[in-house]
Amino acid sequence: MGKIPPSIRPAISNSFTRRVPLETPTQIPKKKSPQHSRKPQTSLGSTKAEALFKSPDLSSAKKVFNCIVATTKSSIDLRFHNTLLQSYASISALHDSISLLHHMVKTQPSFSPDRSTYHILLSQSCKAPDSSLSAVNQILNMMVNNGLKPNQVTTDIAIRSLCGVGRIDHAVELVKELSLKQSPPDTYTFNFLVKNLCKCRTLSTVYGFIDDMKSSFDVKPDLVTYTILIDNVCNSKNLREAMRLVGVLNESGFKPDSFVYNTIMKGYCMQSKGSEAIEVYKKMKEEGVEPDLVTYNTLIFGLSKSGRVKEARKYLDILVESGHFPDAVTYTSLMNGMCREGNALGAVVLLEEMERKGCTPNSCTYNTLLHGLCKCRLMEKGMELYGAMKSAGMELETASYATLVRALCREGRVAEAYDVFDYAVESKSLTDVAAYSTLEVTLKWLKKAREQGLAV
Amino acid sequence: MLPQRLKKTITDNPKKLANLIDLVNLPSPVREFVGQSQISRLGCFMRVWSYIKENNLQDPNNKNLVNCDEKLRSILLGKSRVELAELPALIKLHFPKVPK
Repeated sequence: MGKIPPSIRPAISNSFTRRVPLETPTQIPKKKSPQHSRKPQTSLGSTKAEALFKSPDLSSAKKVFNCIVATTKSSIDLRFHNTLLQSYASISALHDSISLLHHMVKTQPSFSPDRSTYHILLSQSCKAPDSSLSAVNQILNMMVNNGLKPNQVTTDIAIRSLCGVGRIDHAVELVKELSLKQSPPDTYTFNFLVKNLCKCRTLSTVYGFIDDMKSSFDVKPDLVTYTILIDNVCNSKNLREAMRLVGVLNESGFKPDSFVYNTIMKGYCMQSKGSEAIEVYKKMKEEGVEPDLVTYNTLIFGLSKSGRVKEARKYLDILVESGHFPDAVTYTSLMNGMCREGNALGAVVLLEEMERKGCTPNSCTYNTLLHGLCKCRLMEKGMELYGAMKSAGMELETASYATLVRALCREGRVAEAYDVFDYAVESKSLTDVAAYSTLEVTLKWLKKAREQGLAV
Repeated sequence: MLPQRLKKTITDNPKKLANLIDLVNLPSPVREFVGQSQISRLGCFMRVWSYIKENNLQDPNNKNLVNCDEKLRSILLGKSRVELAELPALIKLHFPKVPK
């Protein structure tokens, strides 16, 4: 088992998304302040008015609006207007939405659009594919002409919408424009943009942007920004750069928190550098940063990956001692390590232990175990497990599917291999093409093996 | 994960995938079996395999063997008995490589 079985990857990446919750905090401060009440309206719009506007045609939309106004006895408030506009904006062209807004203002003098109304149009203008920012600027000008200066929420909505449709260069351009107009991004928007830049631009571009924002607009990177950067360089296996960033971080007066340490540890673990990962763990302890579940999961994954299952097991005990509860990721990582050592039976024992402790295995756990059992030629256990997965409707992962099919064919159980193929197709675990290719290649291999007298 | 993987397969080996999913004009025996004039190799395999399952053609004593009925014999080289393991190879015979 030289390579990382893909079965372990989802578990690990799950733990990583949990580790860097960069986006989650963004929502919280936005919801707290009453002026940024965009979110609830959006949900209202989708439930109430979605069916109202059936065509993107402007004149029929106006008719619908007039009809609603005529049949509603109580006065229609701002939120309701916004909901209608939002619902129409989701299917119409930008200029039609603008016209509808004008129509609303004209026919309903009591309705005065506020910031959130314009934010609907702004978000629509950002989402439309466009080669320039002119439409976005048009909306921003509309806002200003109505006495509403763009604020940080405006910036945030525009940037997120732009990034959402891949207009990242426009997002950078707009952030700079808005910063010039005294509406610099807050840390959440800034970090969101940095994260998106990291995904699709070179490191030097990202550094250039950060420097620019710092020198021109006094928007400074914070600890989260550095975590994003470290995560990014670790993912591209550039650990030297990660270490340099840790240095910069210290110089700028930040104290690394558990997120930073976890990210670095992940970097080492991905490269099977178990000893370095343990060093990071010790450093955390020294610096008084309390290791969390993610730290331990990463460490256990890394040690298992580099074949140091005994030590990994030791950290499971430490994890429990320090008051954490091991989860499916912890156990799956450890099982993966055991299976790699050829100790699939040990992994089955661990599964029992895990279930006894009230931790529910997920499909990744089962796939890891199935892969391991087939590799160790423990077909009876393997088929038993496969049966359990099948009755639970779990998906098979590519690697465990291939291993199972191959192991069955090797034993001359071709009909069962066909059954597995059927299940993989039926449960949509794999595409038909992928499932069939594997089966075909395996059968071809079987023919050769039979000719050489290597298989039944 | 899967779409990426599939994409990789395509970019790695476009020809291999193409000869699996491209529609091909069929020779007459196969045409009669599947009831259409064009099908991909993958589609043909699926058709034959589900035909075997629907008609319970697998040998009850050894599921790895297929006892061909007349219809199936017509496309599988006239054999009365085939192994499941050779099914893909037999079907492939109807899909010769397109000369460049």
